[in-house]
Amino acid sequence: MSMIFFEFAKRNIRIHPLRSALAMLGIIIGVVAIASMGILGNSMVLSISDSLSSVGNTVTVTPNSGSGGMGPGGGGGSGSTGSLKVSEYQFNEIQRLVAPSTAIAVYSTSDRMKFGTENTAASMTALAQDDIKDLIPESDIQEGTYPKGSSGSCMVGYKLAEEKNLQVGSRIQVGEDGARGTLRVVGIIAERGMSFDISTDNAVIVTSDWYENAYGISGEYDEVIVKVKDPQTTASVKATLEKKFNTRDNKVFTITDSQATLADIYSTFDSVSLFVTAIGGIALLVAGISILNIMMMSVTERTREIGIMRSIGAKKKEVMSMFLYEAAMLGILGSIVGGILSILGGYAVSMMMLQTTKYLFISENILYIFESIAFGVLICIVCGILPAWKAANLSPLEALRHE
Amino acid sequence: MHPVIRFDNVVKIYPLKAGDVVALDHLSFEVEQGEFVTIMGPSGSGKSTCLTHMGCLDSPTAGDIYISGIATKNMTDDQLTELRRDRIGFIFQYFNLFPLLNVIENVTFPQMLKTGGKVDPKKAKEVLAAVDLPEKLFTHNPTELSGGQQQRVAIARALVNDPDILLCDEPTGNLDSKTGKSIMELMKTLHEKGRTIIMVTHDPNNAQYSERTIRIVDGRLAA
Repeated sequence: MSMIFFEFAKRNIRIHPLRSALAMLGIIIGVVAIASMGILGNSMVLSISDSLSSVGNTVTVTPNSGSGGMGPGGGGGSGSTGSLKVSEYQFNEIQRLVAPSTAIAVYSTSDRMKFGTENTAASMTALAQDDIKDLIPESDIQEGTYPKGSSGSCMVGYKLAEEKNLQVGSRIQVGEDGARGTLRVVGIIAERGMSFDISTDNAVIVTSDWYENAYGISGEYDEVIVKVKDPQTTASVKATLEKKFNTRDNKVFTITDSQATLADIYSTFDSVSLFVTAIGGIALLVAGISILNIMMMSVTERTREIGIMRSIGAKKKEVMSMFLYEAAMLGILGSIVGGILSILGGYAVSMMMLQTTKYLFISENILYIFESIAFGVLICIVCGILPAWKAANLSPLEALRHE
Repeated sequence: MHPVIRFDNVVKIYPLKAGDVVALDHLSFEVEQGEFVTIMGPSGSGKSTCLTHMGCLDSPTAGDIYISGIATKNMTDDQLTELRRDRIGFIFQYFNLFPLLNVIENVTFPQMLKTGGKVDPKKAKEVLAAVDLPEKLFTHNPTELSGGQQQRVAIARALVNDPDILLCDEPTGNLDSKTGKSIMELMKTLHEKGRTIIMVTHDPNNAQYSERTIRIVDGRLAA
């Protein structure tokens, strides 16, 4: 097919700079919207992924509130708070079943605590001294060190420390009028955010030795955390525990697999990502309709020109190609400009929503930009089909007579 | 040898709400190779309809039309387009040049349609020389030319593919009398060189340049 029709399309765009620019502007906005939203969605997923991937190997075992007490091999009684507990025997069973993975027994409670002059309720988590190190790596310690033995040392989360003005060396009285004892802060834990094992940001972390002494209990845990050695086996570890402790009629423990929860979270964020990208897609669709409108106008304006072409021997497909070239050129130019600008758009939305741009130039996001460009071009060509078809099917005689 | 145009009982009826209009009523005639024929008639007589049928821009309601011996009746749109492209040259009253293309591009446009993009600049210059257009105007846009110059470019465009027939629709209708006369002189020269020319006009002065005049009244040949 002759390139003269490409030349016609090119020159027609050039002699209508404002109209062509406005058509392209729509495409630019559409491509920027779809690419930026895509980048934002993808960056959100990656950001969440980054913060949660370290806990992707956790299985938590908590007494089932509907089970009415300890399950097989029970032997437990009520704890200090009178709620359901995991007995020492059950803990040992869990340990045996999940080996070589590690099972960590956790005490947790909420009690009155006095921070300086402020007396308020706060949550406390107690773990064996070595288990604290397993769950809170040194890199998570903002200041100080780990609590030791039963001497009454503790760590506090960064948020609690900020709110109650706690520093290493500060003292916390636990219980009404310090009835449970006094804790000395030896470490501040940095922000850890959402976590599948223990939440530390607002908590006081003590050793189980101190906790058992202070609360007069032993072997009645509130939760067991299993740190699975090979994250690929998380689901099978969960299945093993389910099989052992839960039957259809008697569910002793609620067993949560962090991998499954993560999958749910990723799935939700993927849906959010898809939704925001779809909003961008609608913007691009609107831009496509404006292209259609402009091309229809162009066909009407150029009816006589089409008539001349047809009368001197241009075939329908050649006339059609001229309008499709025009739509494609508008689409390619607009989409490329939009693609370049979407890097800025992605930067802006990432900074606004995630406060970081570290995910901006990863391959998936670059791919998003290229996909948006391709989608922009495709939309333009699709929206150019109807005007092109209309132009090609004009009667040459009617078109020649068009004023 | 076939006549270049043959109309055989051609009928064209335009169905309108107010009633059917018979534009061509069993019209039959022939034009031989190398003839210069004028078609004349009052307004609404059917002469323009006759021209559009000769140019395969419209199809008859009944009857047969033959172009260089080829029956057009059952041709597809693409076949009719190829027939127009290869065998017919159109010259319009309003020149109908492409304002987006310069003179040489306008003239080579039908060449590109025929060859799929290849241009023979020698041939284009040859036909432009034949219509007496100065070479310095070749790169000008049609809007920069006078009416007479534009019509010369249009004639060159019609000639570039060496058509069997030149169909002219009031070729001087949009020109002053002096320029119109020079265009008619050009037509006469082209005819003398062997071109077959069929011209629709209402101007008897133009008809004097042709060898034969077909008069149409109410879609029929006038007696």
